[in-house]
Formats: sequence, structure tokens, C-alpha cells
Amino acid sequence: MNVQVSGLTRRFGRAIAVAGVDLEIGVGVFGLLGPNGAGKTSLLRMMATAVPPTSGTLRLLGRDPGEAGQRREIRCRLGYLPQNPGYYLGFTVTEFVEYFALLKEVPAARVPGAVAAAVERVGLRDRARARLRTLSGGMLRRAAIAQAIVNEPELLLLDEPTAGLDPEQRVAFRALLRELGQRATVVVSTHLVEDVGAACARLALMDRGWIVFHGTPHELSARGAGHDSGDAPLERGYSAVLSAVRS
Amino acid sequence: MTAASAPVLTRPALVERRPGLSTARLLLLELRHNAMLWMLPVALAVFWFLSYRKTMDLPPLWNLRATDLHTRAVADLIVPVTGAAALMGSREARRRMTDLMTSTARPRWARLLVTWAATTIWALVGYGACLAVIYAVTAHQASWGGPLWWPVVVTAASVVAFSAVGFAAGTLLPGRLTAPLVAVGSWFVLVLSTQLITGSQSYWQISPVVAGPWDDTLDPGVATFYPYVHDLSIAQVMFLAGLTVAMLGAVAWPRSSRRVRAASAVVAAAGVLAAGTAVRLAGTGTLDAHGMIAIPALHDAASDLPIRFTPVCSRGSIPVCLNPAYSRSLPAVAAVLSPVLREIAGLPGAPVRVIQVAATYKQGTGNVISTGLAGGALQGEPPEFRLLLPDQQTGGPFLTNHELAGQVRDSIGPAIVASLVSDGPDASEAQHAVAAALSMDAGMPAGTDYPGQPVPRGTRVQGHQETGQGPSCSGAGCGSGAAGNLDKSSPSYAAARRFAALPLAAQRSWLAQHLTALRAGQITLAQLP
Repeated sequence: MNVQVSGLTRRFGRAIAVAGVDLEIGVGVFGLLGPNGAGKTSLLRMMATAVPPTSGTLRLLGRDPGEAGQRREIRCRLGYLPQNPGYYLGFTVTEFVEYFALLKEVPAARVPGAVAAAVERVGLRDRARARLRTLSGGMLRRAAIAQAIVNEPELLLLDEPTAGLDPEQRVAFRALLRELGQRATVVVSTHLVEDVGAACARLALMDRGWIVFHGTPHELSARGAGHDSGDAPLERGYSAVLSAVRS
Repeated sequence: MTAASAPVLTRPALVERRPGLSTARLLLLELRHNAMLWMLPVALAVFWFLSYRKTMDLPPLWNLRATDLHTRAVADLIVPVTGAAALMGSREARRRMTDLMTSTARPRWARLLVTWAATTIWALVGYGACLAVIYAVTAHQASWGGPLWWPVVVTAASVVAFSAVGFAAGTLLPGRLTAPLVAVGSWFVLVLSTQLITGSQSYWQISPVVAGPWDDTLDPGVATFYPYVHDLSIAQVMFLAGLTVAMLGAVAWPRSSRRVRAASAVVAAAGVLAAGTAVRLAGTGTLDAHGMIAIPALHDAASDLPIRFTPVCSRGSIPVCLNPAYSRSLPAVAAVLSPVLREIAGLPGAPVRVIQVAATYKQGTGNVISTGLAGGALQGEPPEFRLLLPDQQTGGPFLTNHELAGQVRDSIGPAIVASLVSDGPDASEAQHAVAAALSMDAGMPAGTDYPGQPVPRGTRVQGHQETGQGPSCSGAGCGSGAAGNLDKSSPSYAAARRFAALPLAAQRSWLAQHLTALRAGQITLAQLP
């Protein structure tokens, strides 16, 4: 398994963001669903080695992120798109992606090719020399996705990746996710169930720090049978599980 | 294959094998997008308006231009450099990129070091531009000597340290107000630190804005006749390097692994130790006889040896010789002294030349510094008149050639006459009268405050605590026993007028016969022709 999580907990002061999560994720696209405040972002930040867990064990790509040397190896193989990524608005798209390629220690000789490929994959080739401050919100989001994939990550963590993308871009992005999921573990945190249905082989549903469902989109849809809240089967399953947990 | 059943991937990561190339490329990106780059025009404009013109108004003497540039550049650059560095240090947090940056492989300290290095490089480029212009113009204008490099090293080290301080503040306390607060705060600390300097033995001399004895005005004689004493510079560089290392150690501390934290703590402690040692060394500094701060533990005895030079001399019966650094002043000085030198040339005991020498410096109480001439004005066999130009005595180099000539005429001309007849406070009335007469004939005032013997009217004193002169002197016996001090109704004045009215040949004839007796005080007023 590329991601092995056991009893993982993260507290921020008195608040418990993630409460003893157990999870195993291999190659493919994995969806992390849940309402606002469910703990998705905190779980992803721990997987991204941005914050350490309060307790529990976490192994990523067969390595222990608590150990400095192994953490660095993980980070070389990691792609991460935060929920609200910041931007250096004076950089061009190419410079921004190159900057992260260098920080991810992609060999200098391979950087230009890797950057060009990443920019191409997110459809920003025509704006490669544009400064970030001149881009729309959707384009900025795609630039951020480009930095996440520039090192051909084995573990790609995407937090609300389709926020700000128009429907056409969203469809293209789902195709990209499926392509990336052929070779890597892709964890997509979202509250948009249609994204999960279109791209994810497996998913987990979180609520108040717990994983309340773990299975395939089909299995989640099946949970919604007879439930009338939601327009699509997956939405009905999502609502049914949350209703059952909360009741 | 489902997500739940896949194995752990084993492909080797695309890891950099030559990290130097990546670091260089990262540095280029940081250089291209650095706040200091945008701050450079501001820094250069500040330098132009506040410092450049004032520095260039100074005479083209290397020591003056170098030390003035040092002091001014440090004060000018501290605000833009610390401000820009604080902006760059707080950039990640302000742009909310901390998570994204943390998840990258390059260690945080290494990443931040590149950003800081780019900021510092631009700051040094800015200083280098100021330095290049000042030194290039000075090289074109100066008649002798070469650039001083220790003030340059101290200023460059200051720029690096300011950058580290600003960057550390921005990194550790990120916020929108960090940059302006750090910039203004640093400036106040720099300026206020000099207010605490009392005497040459002060710990506060470690302040990088100090280039020599504080509260002493620039003196063109310092580091012209003797080498620049770099003791204080070494201590300052040591302090600034320690400060830089301590700040960078502090930057590496947060959100780092235990090993990096331990290393950063050691580095920071080493920096603090170095800075503390430098402060202690600065506290042992004393003003040396040549007007610079000497620190015993760092002192190189070679800097006490005078610089060899071939003086530039005027033509005439008694040539006037100056240090070649002052060659631009020679025509004016020689012209103004020529009447008196013609008058006394060939007389027994008259100087065979007038030669410029170094002033000596002595620390008084507080920030009082006295300058003077070691020994008598007339020395050697055959005798030479040892000349201190007025700007060497007063510490004020800001004289035009015309002003300098005027002061030489009023001060040195009468002193030459006085030295010839051994006039002074204890001299006879006949000596006073002859000295006054010769001065009148040469169109000079008879009084002088020239510091050399035998006219010890007093030494010039500089500093903010005692701005007056040293041992005061008044009355007919003061200074050269000048006619300016002679009562016009006194017999001495009448004798002086009578002697001055004699034809030059008669004067010279009488002096040739009686000068030795006159100097010995054996001639009475009645015996004067």
C-alpha cells in the first residue's frame, strides 16, 4: 500500500480534526468525501507531511514520514495541491512550476522538459509565459495542479482540485486524474460527489474526523437506495450514510 | 487494479544528483523575483540625495572619501535592506504557501538560505554601485594614495548582516507590518547606538556606522601619513559575521528536524559568541597617536610605521613640501608663504624647507580629542619647519584652496617668523617686536595659534564636550607675541613699526648679525634699529 494509516489523530488545541482514522490506499484514484469540517484537509495535510500527526501511525510509499531521511524521500515522490494554495504572482506560469520542480529536487537537466510537460497537461501552454497575476482563478488553479504533478509524483494529494474550474476544464481534469491514477496513488479530497463518481475507483467518506464509509462509488450509491435526498445515486448514498451516522 | 489492492511503488525518485545546478537555477529565480531588486532604485536614490553629493564635496583624499562613504552607506542602506529582507523572509507566510513549501523535498533552511542569498546579493550590488562610482571618481581626482578596503569590507558585512536581521525577523514574525517595523527599528538602533559612545574605549564603537573616533570630524591627515589601522574594522566584521550567523541559525530553527535544530542552535550560539567577543574587543580600543582606534589584541605593529612618500615641493629659496595627497594645495600654500619665506631665507637658523608632517592625536575626557604637533615646529640640522596644514589641526577638511591659503597666511606664516626669532610667551619684548615687524612686512597678522613649539598658544580641541581651546593664552606674551596683541602705545609696538620700516637689506643685515643674540633673549628693545 502506498498509504497506510492507522489510528491517525490530529488535534488543534482542544479541537479534534482527525480522530483515529485507519486507511490503506494503493495505486489509483481515491476519493475523500465529506462535508465541511469533516477532517479531509487535515488528513491530507498529514499525508503531505505538512503537519505531523498527534498520534497514530502513518506510512507513505512504504516509508515513515516521522524520520527525516525517509520524509525527504517521500517528499521527492509527492505532489500536493492545498485547498487554498498561495501564489507568487510575479512569477510566470513556467517559473512557478519550475520553482517547485527545483524544490522537489527534480534533476536540473530534466526540469525544462518536466515543466513543459506539466504545463501542457493542464492546458496552459499558451499562457506559459504569462505572469500569474494576469491569470483567471481557474487558470491559477491549473498552474497549481501543474506544480503538483511536475515531479511525476507517486503519491498525489489534491485538496478540492476542481474548485474554480469551469465544466469543460473539470471534465478534462477528470481525464487527467484517471491518467495519473494509472501509475500513481491519487487522493482527491472534495465535497463534489460527481468528481468522485467520474474518476475514483474507491472512496472514503469522513464526518467529524471519522471515516464513516469506505468502499467503491457503486457501493456508496447502493447505500442511497430508498433515500430521497440528492439528485444522483451517489449524492443519495452520501446523504444516506451521513444521515445514518448522525442519527 | 483497484486502489485498495495495489502494491507499494518502487521506482527510484527523480532525485537531483548535482544539487549545485538546481540551487543555482533556484537562485536565479529568486534574483529575478526579489523585493530588494525593486528596492534598489530607492536605495540608490537615498544614497544620491543624502550621501553622494556630500561625499564628493570632500577633497579627493582616499581616506576621507572611504570613511565618509562607509558611514553614510551604512546609514543609507539599513532601511531598504532590512525592509526588503523582512519582506522576503515573510513571503511564504504572507502568501499562505507554508504548507505547499513544507511538502517539498528541499530542506526548509536550504530553501530560505537561497531566498536570503538572493536578497543579499542585490543589496551588495546596490552598495557595489555606490562604491564603484565614488571610488572611480576619487581615483580620477586623487593625486596620491589608493583606495581603502577595510571600510568597504565593514560596509559589505553590514549589508549582509542587515539582510540577515531583516530576513530573520520576517521569517520568525511574519506579518504585513514586519518589514516597516524592522526597517525603522533597525535604523533607530543604529543611530542611537552611536549616542552612547563616550571616549575611544567604548563597547558601542562596534556599531558598523563608526569608522574612527566618534564625534571627531573627518581629518584628512588620518591614514595619509600612517596606514589605516584596521583593528576596529576587524572587530566590526567579526561582530557582523557573528550577528549574521546567529540570525541565520535562528531562521533554520522552526519547523525543522531535531538534527537541524541542534545544528542551528550550535550555529546561532557560535554567532552570538563571536559577536560578543567582538564587542569586548571593541571596548578595549583606544585612540592611537595617528587618529585611529587601536585594539591591542588585534593591533599590527606594522601599521604604526609611517607611509613612505616623496613630497611634492614648490620652487624657491625655501621650498614648501607637502604630502603628495595634498599636491592640489601646494600652489596656494606656497604662494601665500612665499613673502615670509623670501624675507627670512638665508638668515642664520632659518629653515631650509617647510615640510608637511602628520598631526598627533590624544584622547581627552569624554569625547574630547586634541590634535597637535609632536615636538617643536623647527627641527633638524639644517632646520626644517614642520608644517601642519590648518585642516589637519581642526579636523575640518572642508576648505577650498582659497580658504586654506587664508588660514595658512594667518596661522603658519607668523609661526614661521616666530620660530625663527624663538618668539613665545616667555620671549623678550625685542623678540615680540621683531616677529611682529617681519609679519607686518609679509602682510600677515602677527598672532598665531600654531601648535608647534615655541609658540604653544594651545592645542586645538575637538569633541562635543569641550569645544573650546586648550591652555588659553592672552596678552603680549601670547602665541608669537604678535603685534596684534601689542598695545599700540607700547614701546614694543613702536619698535616693531620702526623695524618694519627699514629697507629689507637693512633688516636682513641686522638680523644676520644679531639673530642668534635675539633668539637667546640678549637683545633689548632699545638695541633694535
